[in-house]
Amino acid sequence: MPAGPADGAGRRQAALDLLARYVRVVDDPRRIEEWPDLFAEEATYLVVTRENHERGLPIAVVRDDTRDRIRDRVVIVREFWGAGGRTEDRHYNEAWPRHIVGPAWVDLKESDEAHLGANFMVWGSGAIDGQMRVLAVGEYRDVVVFPDGAARFKAKIVILDHPVLQDVFVYPL
Amino acid sequence: MDIESDLLRTIRWPQEDNRIPREIFTNPDLFRLEMDAVFTGPVWVLVGHEAEVPTPGDYKTTSVGTIPAIVVRGTDGVVRVLVNACAHRGTRLVEGPSGNVGRGGFRCIYHMWTYDTAGRLTAVSLPEDFPADFRQEDYGIPHARVETYRGTIFATFSDATPPLRDYLAELTEGIDRVLGDGALRFLGSIKVVFHTNWKLYVENIYDGYHVTALHTGFQVVRLRSHGGDRLVPNYERNGHLWSRSRSTPVDHLRPVLRDMSLFEVRTKPTTDHTMMVVFPSGVVTDYFDTIQLRYVVPLDLDRTLIEFAFFGRQSDPPEVLLHRNRQGPAVLGPAGAITLEDAAALERVQRSAVARGENVVLKGTPRRFPPYRHVDEAPIRHFYQAYRRLLGFAIPSDGAADASGPR
Repeated sequence: MPAGPADGAGRRQAALDLLARYVRVVDDPRRIEEWPDLFAEEATYLVVTRENHERGLPIAVVRDDTRDRIRDRVVIVREFWGAGGRTEDRHYNEAWPRHIVGPAWVDLKESDEAHLGANFMVWGSGAIDGQMRVLAVGEYRDVVVFPDGAARFKAKIVILDHPVLQDVFVYPL
Repeated sequence: MDIESDLLRTIRWPQEDNRIPREIFTNPDLFRLEMDAVFTGPVWVLVGHEAEVPTPGDYKTTSVGTIPAIVVRGTDGVVRVLVNACAHRGTRLVEGPSGNVGRGGFRCIYHMWTYDTAGRLTAVSLPEDFPADFRQEDYGIPHARVETYRGTIFATFSDATPPLRDYLAELTEGIDRVLGDGALRFLGSIKVVFHTNWKLYVENIYDGYHVTALHTGFQVVRLRSHGGDRLVPNYERNGHLWSRSRSTPVDHLRPVLRDMSLFEVRTKPTTDHTMMVVFPSGVVTDYFDTIQLRYVVPLDLDRTLIEFAFFGRQSDPPEVLLHRNRQGPAVLGPAGAITLEDAAALERVQRSAVARGENVVLKGTPRRFPPYRHVDEAPIRHFYQAYRRLLGFAIPSDGAADASGPR
């Protein structure tokens, strides 16, 4: 008997709670350090266009296919794109992201995993001109596991509907 | 023609070749003029690699300047670049980024005119009561002249464009180094809109000065590029860029990332990078282990689509392909550790260009001719010399940086 919420209703709710927590973290640039904790020890964060996904082309916009790469993303955001943490020198991190996530569906699997799906849209506001801009529209096709009683992403698969990105984005989608 | 020359006169370009009037990034009439004078002028525009359309019928859509185009491998195996518009009423023939046209050819949805992969009109619906002199062969889709080099596909709409090898000149040597025999495998591309004028995107690649200043990641891992140069081969004629540099850790690579494969070179004997611009809008590079072509497509005055196309070699074993897939977009793509900042900087230049005045190029300009050092921004001057020549702006003489002030 694996640890964690044993009954289906408990797992379903734990997966939905994980998604809500994810949105709260990625929508708050001050909380990016919490983002890797939402993933299991073996995990993937993938952002891919539907075009490449359906053509079977391996190039992804983001391919963080290990927990190490997921944790490295925080360093890239804070250090590489954040001028070594001198945020007063780098303002492009200030495009405040806002996820709008539609109703989520959870599909419990025999393998003690849950598949989690939802449509999403991400806006960025106030970057340079004080305007808002749509950064991404697509769907999540996630896999959630329940090690040690807590829900974690084994895979966060972000599929972008648009073959052309309308802007670069700093924080995870 | 008169309107054009009036426009060129109203834009006051300083005598010094290191000063760039900001109005060239904000003037909508100039943008339209550029699309003709540059992108349908005597230049070769990089539109793809043959590995993107490997089998007959494969196509991708792109633009040559603002002309919508289809890059298609014909049923005869020949790659062509067709204008993406029906010869009848101009309807876009192909939607979407890519596909295979299949046996039926390109069929227009509007009146069901059908073309083969060479752009020949093969069928017309209900042609009764057409004028008696209507001939199908008169209604092919306009197409560009196409030449390839190491699989790279170039298109031109001008009869005055010299043969591709002459145009590329010394750049062929750099392309040989990056693409080898051209036997590549297409891994996929990422397309992103930069909110900046196309010239600002291209001139950024000529600029070696910003690399350590803007791309903080190099400092964070203490990776210093050195020992290279920025050539502008044949700069009197066409203004291509050929930049060579070598990245070496200052002491040792600071392991700030748990996975440092972003900065690893596994497929080359040295860490030499090549970064080339085929004037006006093509980029060819091998940075670390990333083989990349970029296609710069002007959308509007202040919006430019950049397609980052990634490739492996056909001889790559699976672990090398995986390495390339993990490294490429993580370094040189819109979410790349050392690329994203360019979008931020260039949007800021674009947004303040309305302030008028001039942008200034300083670093390396005391050297009047190539080669420059890899940290110089001086090669930007040669991009604009080639640009001004095509547009018909007066060209300052080489080394005019020390000329007397504006007049």
